Amino acid sequence: MNRRESPLLPKTDAREAALFFVIGALCFLAALAALTTRGTYKAAQAWGAQIEGDITVVMRDSDRRAAEAAAERVAGLVNVIDARVLSRDEVQALLEPSLGPGGLPEGLPIPMLMVVQADLSRGDPSAGIERILDDLSIDGDVAGNAGYADNVRGALGVLRMVALSIVALLSATAIAVIAFATHAALLARRDIVEVLHLSGAEDRYISGLFERRFWVLAIQAGAGGALAALMTTALIVFTGSSAQGAEAQLLPRLSLDFWDFVILLSTPVMAGIAARIAARATVMASLKDSL
Amino acid sequence: MSQLRPDFSDEPAVRLDGVSLAYERTGEVLTEIDLNLRQGSFTFLTGPSGAGKSSLLKLMYLAHEPTRGAIRLFGRQTHEMKRKQLAALRRRIGVVFQEFRLLEHLSAFENVALPLRVAGQKTGQYQNEVIDLLRWVGLGERVDALTPSLSGGEQQRVAIARALINKPDLLIADEPTGNVDPEMGRKILRLFAELNKRVGTTILIATHDLSLIREFDVPVLRLSNGLLVRDVEFGSGG
Repeated sequence: MNRRESPLLPKTDAREAALFFVIGALCFLAALAALTTRGTYKAAQAWGAQIEGDITVVMRDSDRRAAEAAAERVAGLVNVIDARVLSRDEVQALLEPSLGPGGLPEGLPIPMLMVVQADLSRGDPSAGIERILDDLSIDGDVAGNAGYADNVRGALGVLRMVALSIVALLSATAIAVIAFATHAALLARRDIVEVLHLSGAEDRYISGLFERRFWVLAIQAGAGGALAALMTTALIVFTGSSAQGAEAQLLPRLSLDFWDFVILLSTPVMAGIAARIAARATVMASLKDSL
Repeated sequence: MSQLRPDFSDEPAVRLDGVSLAYERTGEVLTEIDLNLRQGSFTFLTGPSGAGKSSLLKLMYLAHEPTRGAIRLFGRQTHEMKRKQLAALRRRIGVVFQEFRLLEHLSAFENVALPLRVAGQKTGQYQNEVIDLLRWVGLGERVDALTPSLSGGEQQRVAIARALINKPDLLIADEPTGNVDPEMGRKILRLFAELNKRVGTTILIATHDLSLIREFDVPVLRLSNGLLVRDVEFGSGG
């Protein structure tokens, strides 16, 4: 019976455990940064689109019945998703920050407010709303958020650039640190490189041993980091979706989609490639010193 | 100080022509070395610490390239060879180090089998051969022992078996008795002498242990300050 062959490289040691931790932590940070950046950007974009599509119509000297008739006709416009007249309580809640609690005095004339959610991809409905108000002889103003939305769009653009820069910087740092840590871990194995070299092993054979070793190590550590990032993101998504009330509007609405999973899967692969290239470069540099 | 150029056979195992070696940090450690080792010869290399013995051996077992000069091994110019060819040539050379250089996570068997394994052979092809060789060096009972559990002398014998497993044409030993007791040192050198006599392996042993050298009637080369001289004090010459 043939004897069992032990691996030519020792199983693990403290240096590789440290390398495993470094790669896992960096992959966690890089993946989490990419996912939260992407999620926040998506949420901000959706928020911006919502603001852009919101139109408020102020109807003066109008009773609720006329206002609701106007809202019904507005809701029928092709580029309007929804239109409704706010109740007195809702108006009161809007005015509360300015007038304080305690309710509005009975008989105080307050305008009717209609909130219109427009589908701007099918055109701006402002002109159509104004026509309806004219037809119904309602004295009203149509106030869109287009100007405000331009500012939001500008801010989103800056946010996107900053976020992408942070993710790029973090990813580049992660790759550089992984390469450096792999190089350091492998230098400690120089004795094995030398013994194999003097035993007649070809450069490619020696390099292949170390490349495979560090590739597997980085893939495993990177997968651990990516999994931790996924769990953290899922926790954020869950926390965000379970929030209720007005404060929920302030939380970013994160979600996971196909591209988020592509990011998660590519994180350990990138770590593996960085470790593999570093291992190859280190072994080859080490062998280059000798014939 | 004269340089050595003995008259050996037509195709020496090792031939150095005007070989010099300089390290970046320490400068030149070997100067214009001319040397022939004929096939089947047994030679000692001696000299004080820092004389360049290990550096000279490193050139011969292809761990370093000379700064100047040419090295011919078994009739082939090493500087004309590709790395792949050098790896194949390295398999014709067995090397034994003072500090053994065994892989600690492997058994005695696996350490000895290493040169065959890296050459692509399977366990079934070399199993018996490795065990026979371990028996020959007196380690038949320690085949599966991990190297850290072996004594210094046992580890050195594993290293010798590893150097011999490829049936090398040239065996180079750098202070092979440096880390073992004198009795074990004598046994190890007798193993080398037996190998040289029975198989005809060319052997070059670097040592500063003059008492051991005296026991063998073979040529002795001496290095002094990077220069090679012949020393006839301890041996009658080959």
